Amino acid sequence: MKLVSKAIFFRYPLLVLLLMVFSASQLFAQPRTITGNVKAGDMDSPIPGATIVVKGSSKGAITDLSGNYSITASETDILQFSFIGYNQVEVIVGNQTQIDVVLEVESIGIDEIVVIGYGTVRKSDLTGAVSSVKAGDLTKITSLNPEQNLQGKVAGVQVTSTSGAPGAAPTVRIRGVGTFNNSSPIYVVDGTILNDISFLNSSDIASMEVLKDASATAIYGSRGANGVIIISTKSGDIGSGKPVFDFFSEYGIQKLTKKIDLLSGREFAIISNEIAAGSYNNVDAVPNTDWQDLVFHTAPIQNHQLSVSGGTENSRYYVGIGLFKQEGIIDKSGYERLTLKLNNSYNLTKSITFGNNLTIAPYKQENAPGVTYSVYRAQPVLEPYYSDGSYAVVYNVGNPLADLDYSNNFNTGVRGVGNVYSEINILKDLKFRSSIGIDAAYGKNKSFTPAYTIYNPDGTPSQQQNVLNDLNKERNENLNWLWENTVSYYKAFGKNNIDLVAGYTMQESSSENLKLTGNNVIRDGSDFWYILPSYILDEGNGVNTLNDIKNEVDPNLNYSMISYLFRANYTYDGKYILTSTFRRDGSSKFKKENRYGNYPSFAAGWNIGREAFMDNLEILSTLKLRGSWGMIGNEKISYNSRYSIVQSDLSTIFGLNPAVIPAASYGKSGNNELRWENTTQTDIGLEVGLLNNRLTGEFDYYNRVTDDILIDLSTPGYLGNGQGQKITYNAAKVLNYGFEFNINWREKRGDFNYSIGVLGSTIHNEVLEVGGSSGIDSVLLGGRLGNGIPVTQSRVGLPIGAYFGYKTDGIFQSTDDLAAYPHSSSAGVGDLRFVDVFEDGKINDQDRTFIGSPIPKFIFGVNLAMDYKGIDFSIDIQGQTGNKIFNGKEAVRPDPYNFEKHVFDRWTGPNTSNTEPRPSWGGYNYIPSDRFIQDGSFIRLRNVTLGYTLPISFTDKIFVDRLRVYIKGSNLLTLTKYTGYTPEIGSSEILSNGIDNGIYPVTSVYSFGINLTF
Amino acid sequence: MKTLKKYILPGLASLILFAGCEDFLDKNLQGSLTQDSFPTSASDALLATNAVYSTTRNWNFNSGGFPILDVMSDDSHKGSNPNDQLPNVGPFDNFTFTTTADGLDRWWATLYEGIKRAHVVIEKVETIPMDEELKTRYIAEARFLRGLFYFDLVRAWGDVPLVTSSTPPLKLTKSDKSLIYELIVGDFIFAKDNLPLKSEYPEEELGRATQGAAKAYLAKAYLFQGDFVNAEKYALEVISSKEYSLEPDFADANSLIGENSVESIFEVGALSLEGNPGNQYANTQGVRGSPNRGWGFNRPSVDLRDSFEPDDPRKDATIIFLGETLDDVLILGDGTTPDEIKDASNNVIEIECYNQKVWIPGENTITQWGHNRRLMRYADVLLMAAEALNENDNQTDALKYLEEVRERARGGNTAILQEITETGKTALRDLILEERRHELAMEQHRFWDLVRTGKATEVLGPLGFVNGKHDYLPIPQSEVDISQGSLEQNTNWQ
Repeated sequence: MKLVSKAIFFRYPLLVLLLMVFSASQLFAQPRTITGNVKAGDMDSPIPGATIVVKGSSKGAITDLSGNYSITASETDILQFSFIGYNQVEVIVGNQTQIDVVLEVESIGIDEIVVIGYGTVRKSDLTGAVSSVKAGDLTKITSLNPEQNLQGKVAGVQVTSTSGAPGAAPTVRIRGVGTFNNSSPIYVVDGTILNDISFLNSSDIASMEVLKDASATAIYGSRGANGVIIISTKSGDIGSGKPVFDFFSEYGIQKLTKKIDLLSGREFAIISNEIAAGSYNNVDAVPNTDWQDLVFHTAPIQNHQLSVSGGTENSRYYVGIGLFKQEGIIDKSGYERLTLKLNNSYNLTKSITFGNNLTIAPYKQENAPGVTYSVYRAQPVLEPYYSDGSYAVVYNVGNPLADLDYSNNFNTGVRGVGNVYSEINILKDLKFRSSIGIDAAYGKNKSFTPAYTIYNPDGTPSQQQNVLNDLNKERNENLNWLWENTVSYYKAFGKNNIDLVAGYTMQESSSENLKLTGNNVIRDGSDFWYILPSYILDEGNGVNTLNDIKNEVDPNLNYSMISYLFRANYTYDGKYILTSTFRRDGSSKFKKENRYGNYPSFAAGWNIGREAFMDNLEILSTLKLRGSWGMIGNEKISYNSRYSIVQSDLSTIFGLNPAVIPAASYGKSGNNELRWENTTQTDIGLEVGLLNNRLTGEFDYYNRVTDDILIDLSTPGYLGNGQGQKITYNAAKVLNYGFEFNINWREKRGDFNYSIGVLGSTIHNEVLEVGGSSGIDSVLLGGRLGNGIPVTQSRVGLPIGAYFGYKTDGIFQSTDDLAAYPHSSSAGVGDLRFVDVFEDGKINDQDRTFIGSPIPKFIFGVNLAMDYKGIDFSIDIQGQTGNKIFNGKEAVRPDPYNFEKHVFDRWTGPNTSNTEPRPSWGGYNYIPSDRFIQDGSFIRLRNVTLGYTLPISFTDKIFVDRLRVYIKGSNLLTLTKYTGYTPEIGSSEILSNGIDNGIYPVTSVYSFGINLTF
Repeated sequence: MKTLKKYILPGLASLILFAGCEDFLDKNLQGSLTQDSFPTSASDALLATNAVYSTTRNWNFNSGGFPILDVMSDDSHKGSNPNDQLPNVGPFDNFTFTTTADGLDRWWATLYEGIKRAHVVIEKVETIPMDEELKTRYIAEARFLRGLFYFDLVRAWGDVPLVTSSTPPLKLTKSDKSLIYELIVGDFIFAKDNLPLKSEYPEEELGRATQGAAKAYLAKAYLFQGDFVNAEKYALEVISSKEYSLEPDFADANSLIGENSVESIFEVGALSLEGNPGNQYANTQGVRGSPNRGWGFNRPSVDLRDSFEPDDPRKDATIIFLGETLDDVLILGDGTTPDEIKDASNNVIEIECYNQKVWIPGENTITQWGHNRRLMRYADVLLMAAEALNENDNQTDALKYLEEVRERARGGNTAILQEITETGKTALRDLILEERRHELAMEQHRFWDLVRTGKATEVLGPLGFVNGKHDYLPIPQSEVDISQGSLEQNTNWQ
């Protein structure tokens, strides 16, 4: 694949300019010099690198190796001493010239500031279930998608790869699956509400907060039902003085994690001979092609980032430029993204702040054809090439190497997301903030397939051919703007604290797609990939031109919204906390009368640990009980479901010389009565801190019920909507409940620091209602395999997307055996025995039953980290249990394909096997049954990192503040019984979760990197 | 306070301004019309009228004829190779189909879809300011087609829900057949009073409903109700209009040459392009194998073959036999289909042969899609006239029209198909029914003819037909389920 990175650098000279501007730091002179020493209270040793700042100014200094510093300040100044992990200390200068300070270890994890919707709150004052992940944990997994780093880090969050292809977005589910429709959380990046964050570079992120319960999410109203992930990007520090440059560079190698155990050429020939005698005369003489080896290879991944941040007295800035480049382990799949990040803020006056956050991310992606399926199916007895070097025919699936060779499919585009805002302190405690955010995306796709033919050995053309070359072009444009205005008020009087936020927001989203398809491009080269009118309109060659041009809006991205929001937070004496939020959302997606939805929430917290009666319990440093209840909605539905549409692509034929005559009439019927989906969530949480908060634990029980879920229901044929037409109704209900825990131990022993975190959550997912009482739509069918057969049924009492099929109970060992049980007329001796679940003495559709759930019962993560004198080491483990995988790629066999290895242990006569039926190319034994259900439980060694930070004594000499080198590995080891490439099988389609239809393998990555701060 | 004036007041003012702006939430549908904004102009009216015809091009409409009707008759079998579509189409061959039979729901829903499209014209075009004469014609076309769709419904299912608006109530019950026929007759009468003659349409408009088509269907609707006086009246009106005549060659009554020609009273247009303009109806029945004209379903039965009078040229023009050379194409048939299927006593019960009435000359599959399906042709009207006249005791005229059909069939060969002179009412009735079988074989008339003349039990009983049950199809089970009890299943199908 060609590099575009250089071109991008040249295309954006602006960035270089910006870097130069911000590098210019400003210095200020002051009258008196103050010196001193900073020590750590727990070790009685000096702290190098501690920060000393003159409060309210940009003046600062950093301690040297011995903990000594020097700073100029005047008598009335206040010096702030701080160091990560220690409590900040403030000292008034007065007449002192030497100020020595001892910093005490910070109580961990309890009074950090947590970002919540439209504000921040001290962790101790938080009544909602919110989990934070900080910058350091966000770059452990080298991935395009920052959300990959949440996996195994936050209780109740499940991140699943949909594919290992570079650029593929994972699915994120917070606290189970709440609806049949889009169940993804929303992302709030620096205040801008977004549906995906593929443009965001992990290195630019300061923190991610996952809002889980209604108290936290209800302020996002109709968008909060599936959880909210708030992302704050990095910024400089006011008055930090000199600019801080951060450089980071990482290079890694991706490898196929494991190969699927398939039959060898010889084994395949043996099985073939059993199915059809005489297929191969000499099974020892057949070729043995390992198609996996031919298609998969190692591939590099690299990630580079340079940022500069800092601040002057009245401004702060952060500028970052990043390059992410990943090649795929399959040819012609790769992703490359450049990110420019620019965050600035300015104090215009004492009371007015103004700022901006901006990301611009151009990207390029190449899409490989879906060869994983054909690699899995291709017969090992076939050679990839003929003796003359041309591609050989691969019966039934096509030659995957040829597919790759002839594929040219590229996405390119740019995404720009940013906002400008202003904050005005109207009064001392009253602040007004207004922000305008824009999310603009422009995407292109072009694909070209040349005309080609793969020939059979006898020289006749095979089915793998493309008679006419074809060229497709697609353009997508999306524009989404959001204007948010909030007023916040904070007042403390006596032991009372009141924090109020009220706001008004407007948002509009629009989109348009344009698609063209042409044939007979005059030359194959990319210089000719432009569509001429003759490519589209040429009817002489019999091309169907009806679908060659398409121009429409994306129904999910065409809406406007108006919202009103409010939150009140009251605390008394730091012990009792009450929070209430309310949001009213109006959406263009519904008719006037149904347009508005109201989303209230109430929560209370009690810091029991702060009560006088707990004072005796020294071991206990924190104990907080909290509970919340609230309502949230899901508005991720298509904007046009309510409209009854005129179908204007009809036609009829009249005339002695028949001609197509256009026609139009009523088409799909909408449902104008549609309302919001509505989720009610209850949460009870307990936060415990022991031993000066070295041991902390957070425990939550949650219960989410989503009602009025939009589903499509059949309508009586006499309404005239046409065959198979369905209408959307608010007609389903789903329950999720579970228990979450997150336990952390952190300790410092001399130079040795370590921490252990264990977290997990249980999920109970159950459909409570579908469709109402009519028989026909009380089940939602989904999870269609490659042959169109649906294998999931969502019905009352079962999880969403539950697998349905026959239960098997061994193999018919003999004709007597066959006669002894009810069986299908297609079944014979050596075939699977399906269980007569319905007990009517027959095997038929009624015996199809629940055979497994794709939703795990328990997901967990274990995280270990330690450091000693500059060496840091961490291990992240993650896994899940209780879910099943439907091995869909194995179940679809219309033609003779290769088999998985277990087929070799087949039934060959009475009592030779009771699990593996006699071999066949397809048919009866491949009817969807629990034969294809596999345990999806796994434990994965997600990340191991070993780093070394060079001593300051050395880095000082090369004028570098910090230099760290590291090696790391991702997905190093996965313990699972699943036979496929990966047990992580995500699907953006809710009803198709966990079905492996030939997923692009997720890789193991081994990388090396360097961090440089100067 | 300066700041307040400078920044905050304009900010708050704009807030209030926008807060009152409810229009912001009014987003129109993009790229397509909504139903409340169509049809509103003369050109919309034309589009909406054309759309009613568009239903007759839907496969689900045509699938009522095949597989359901023909395969249920004694004229045809499922066809194709033995296993192809066996679970779906096979049960219609031996009356083992159930309430969930494949295709019933599609036919039902599509007929009502056509009815809805007709209502769009009947209700909305009325209010459009436009040429009044054209407006009336559009409405008459829509009513003709509504009558046609209901005629299928009432013949297939008997009592069915009576929908008379484009926005019917969600819950409906079945209406008695007599009410459905009342609507059908009303529609055909309105259509005959307001539609042009076929000759009044320009060449490029051929295919639209005509006065003649309305009268022919009116005759047929009366015939199905046993009202022979009115059936005779309207059949004779079609004949006396001199708008139609028989094709000189019987084969052309269904061939490419005969499309929209003298014998055609109403037919469904098609173009030989794959995809939208084509009609799959002929493709599904085309010769399977060599030449590859289609999938080979709906195969003429041995019983039909043997029923023809000696040397009746219509046998050869109805059935494509293996080894035959047709329009210079040698018919070899399909390798996966047995040439003959025999029963236990070694009697041939099926032979590989194909429906010639959908034949279009050629060797590839695509052109077959261009076959125009004939729904009503002049020969049918002549035989309806003969039948009604016989029932009304005018055997002389009945014989005259019967002979007109036979004379054409004879093709000038006086040695065959002797003129019928039978004047006994009962015997002549049977002869006319037999003539209908030979003239109209494989054109989806036979099953309903047998049911309406009370012969179904006698003829189809051996194939599995049960009187009082199979006279009507079961209401599709999915429709019964969706209605949550308001639609009652047909007699003997519960």
